Order: sequence, then structure tokens, then C-alpha cells
Amino acid sequence: MVRFENVGMRYGAGPEVLRDVSFALDPGSFTFLTGPSGAGKSTLLKLVFMAERPSRGLISLFGRDLAILRRADLPALRRRLGVVFQEFRLLDHLSAFDNVALPLRLAGNRPGDYLRDVEELLSWVGLGERMHHKPATLSGGEQQRVAIARAVVAKPDLLLADEPTGNVDPDMGERLIRLFVELNRFGTTVMIATHDRALIESTRAREIRLIDGRLIEMRGSA
Amino acid sequence: MRQPAADTGERRRIGILPREQGAGSLDLVIGVMAFLAALALGGVLIANRSAETWQAGLAGRLTVQILPQGQAAPEKEVGAALKLLRSTPGVVFAGPLSDADNLALVEPWLGRDAVISALPFPTLIDVRLAPGATPDIAGLERQLKAASPHAVLDDHRRWIGRLRNTANTVVLSAFAILALIALATAATVAFATRAGLAAHREIVELLHLMGAKDRFIARAFEWHYFLAALIAGVCGAALAVAAFLGAGSLDQFGFASVSFLPPLGLPLSELPWLAAVPVGASIIAWATARASVIAALHELY
Repeated sequence: MVRFENVGMRYGAGPEVLRDVSFALDPGSFTFLTGPSGAGKSTLLKLVFMAERPSRGLISLFGRDLAILRRADLPALRRRLGVVFQEFRLLDHLSAFDNVALPLRLAGNRPGDYLRDVEELLSWVGLGERMHHKPATLSGGEQQRVAIARAVVAKPDLLLADEPTGNVDPDMGERLIRLFVELNRFGTTVMIATHDRALIESTRAREIRLIDGRLIEMRGSA
Repeated sequence: MRQPAADTGERRRIGILPREQGAGSLDLVIGVMAFLAALALGGVLIANRSAETWQAGLAGRLTVQILPQGQAAPEKEVGAALKLLRSTPGVVFAGPLSDADNLALVEPWLGRDAVISALPFPTLIDVRLAPGATPDIAGLERQLKAASPHAVLDDHRRWIGRLRNTANTVVLSAFAILALIALATAATVAFATRAGLAAHREIVELLHLMGAKDRFIARAFEWHYFLAALIAGVCGAALAVAAFLGAGSLDQFGFASVSFLPPLGLPLSELPWLAAVPVGASIIAWATARASVIAALHELY
């Protein structure tokens, strides 16, 4: 599903943020990416969701080497991913509903086809009453849930989440992790970058840890 | 697992882009540009039509002047010239202008003062040729001199040549102005599109990362600017139409037109040409928006 071989990454002429990172995510796996702030977790995720290119090393996604992929093939690959960005990245002029529906719109679905799914998902994350509100009128935790709903709505092959429970209370955090586990049970490969030990301990999933840009295998999958 | 990729949803573009701040001033600039472009285009049409009218009015005609000796042209010479002209092959009409016609000719320059009638006037003979007739002008001139020593033949060739040059210069200048305005409009729209793109960079990047194709994102921008330019262009061209209609009906409000200048108004049959301005403006907006967005997207991963 995802394979990193000796990947190194630096921004411009700065120091290396990631050094010789090698790992693989198997299809249907559930993995936590942990490590202190600034260890390179977000950078690693950006390399997977193709927001950045590595300075060196090899990355393959869905069995395809990203270095030699044609530009025209990237959108189809990106649509197989669901990403929860650390800073949410919601479109401010769209309602919660329209933000969540965006991946379905981009994939060519008609509003009539996804109306019920989107409403159901928003109710599941506790935003049934606020689905027509714009992000500016939602709290941080609510915006985070909209971002999560948007990432999972198209049932992606690979879900990447950067601190997805950072702004929600423990109960909601637990509810969200259940959503990820459920999605994983139906075949989605999940990788979650987090600090939240309680979240990590709540499942027996694999944990890989980044320290100073190097990757250490902490716990294999159960 | 994946949603099927299809183009149907990609065609839904409404709402992907918010209406950006300051868009009103862009619309105003495009509207003003369209107004100026429509004026320039109208100028091209007026200059073109005037040149044709002048040439058509003078082609196939000759004028013979019998210069005055004292207060009036010698009657004998006028009669001889008329006789010669009327017997020349290809001439369908030859007749002297009346005093009233002469006065009307000098009126734009000298006014209608009573003193005018006291001035010595040459006798002007208007000669009309049969369509396609090509009389031997040099031969005719020699014969005229023999019959009427104070006669001067004018075949308007120099005048038509000058007119043609002047009209061509006016037409070319109007085209040059039109080209400059089109260039300025294109540059304005391109600049605004890039500014809009910078303001929406976050949205563009997000859509890009979510797997939106370049042409989907570009389409959102190009239609946005196409519509803005079309609406602004229609407003600008409509203003120009009003200006031309107003100029065309000035004489109805007591403003006398100047007889030797072309009418400033455009006839109804020529007004539809001005529709080319909003169409052109919106196509320029569409193309520059598309090129700018595609170029910016290629800078991303």
C-alpha cells in the first residue's frame, strides 16, 4: 500500500527533517505514527499524500513509484486517499455539509446520490444540527470533526490523519477512533499521527515512532 | 471503495470559489475598457463608412470650373464648355450649379452673410459619367481649354487619393487603439486572475490535494472571469451604444451637424458589431484565466 525506502527530506537548504526512513504499510493495516513535536510526523504524512517530494529515497503508493508517475495520473491516486489535516483546511465559504461533500463532488457524484450519506455521517460525528453552518461559526472541535468526516466520506483506500483528536474531548475522541476502526474493518488502511497515548492504547494497533527524523518500530500490529 | 470518477460532478462548479474581495473594481475596469474598445470599434466603422461614402460620392463625377472674369464667368465660355461636355461620349449629365448651390458650398466656411453674394464666384459645372465610363481626361482637358480658355477640369483624383489616405490613417489609428485596449484588458484580466489565484491559493492547493484535476480547478476560475468580463463588457458596450445613439440624434436636439464631417452616430445596422466587444473581452478573460491557473498549478506537486 505504502512503501518508503531510505527516504530523506529537507526543506530548501535546511537540515534534514527525515533521515533514511524506511517502512511499509500493508493493505488493511492500522498504524499510529508517534513522536515528539518537530520530529517530522507531519512531513512524513505530507510525503504520503503528495504535498511534498522527498529529497532522496523512494516512495511508492498503491504499488506505484511516485518519482516516475506522470502528472496526469496523480489526481486519480489522490482520490484514493482521505486526509485529515492538522490545521483542518476547510473551505470557509462552504457549509459543513458542502465541505464534507466536496470529495464526492470531485469524484463526480450528484448531490442526490450523496445527500443522505453526508447527513448521516455528520450526525454520527455530532454535527447533525449544525451541518449548514460555515466553519467560522463552528468551534475548533466541530471543525475538526467536519475535517474528519470529509476525509472518510468517500471511503478512501488509505486514510491519513494528523492529530485528529487534538481538539475534542475524550468521549468524542473515543467516538472518532471507533469511526477509524470501523472504516479500517471495511478495508481502509489507516495511519494516524498523534501524541495522544490514550488513543494509542485504546487499540492494539502497530506504532511507529519518529525521533529526530529517524523511524523506530515500537509495536507490531496485533 | 472508491467513488467512480466521472465528469458530471466536475461540471458542477458553482460555489467552489468565493467571490473575492475587490472584484467590483475589476468589473469596473473591464467595463470601462469595454466602453473604450466599443468607442474605438465604432470609430473604425464610422471612418470606414465615411471613406466609402466620400469615394462613392466623387467617383464617376467630374467638375469643371469656369473662372470668373470680373464679377462673373463669361457666359460664352460656359455655353461652349457645356456643349463640348454634353457631346463627349460617356457623359450622361452636365449642368451648371445654381447660385444657391454655390452659396451652400461656401456656407460652412464663410457663413450666410449677405456680403457673400457680392463675391466673384466661378461657374461650376457638375459632370456625371455613365457607370464604368473612362473618358480620356487629358484629351478632354485640351478640348476644354480650346473651347473655353478659363475652364479648369477637376477629376477629383487627387482629392479622392487624399481622402483615401486620410480615411485609411483614421481606420488604422482606430484599429491600433482597439488593439492597445484589447492588450490592456487582457493584461488587467491576467493580473486580476493571478491576484485572485494568490488569494485562493489555499483553496487551489486543497482541491489539488483532494484529487481535483487541473482542468476542473482551471474551469472554476475561467468561468468565474468569463462571466465577470462578459457582464462588465456588456455594460461597457451598452454605454457605448447609448453614446453613439446620442451622438447620432444630436441634430434632433438642435445641434447642427457639420456638413463636411462624417455623422458621429452609428446606424442601427452597424450597432450589432459592438457586441463583438463583450464577446472579445470575455474570451480574453477566459483564455488568460485558464493559462494563469494551469501555469500556477504546474508549480505545485
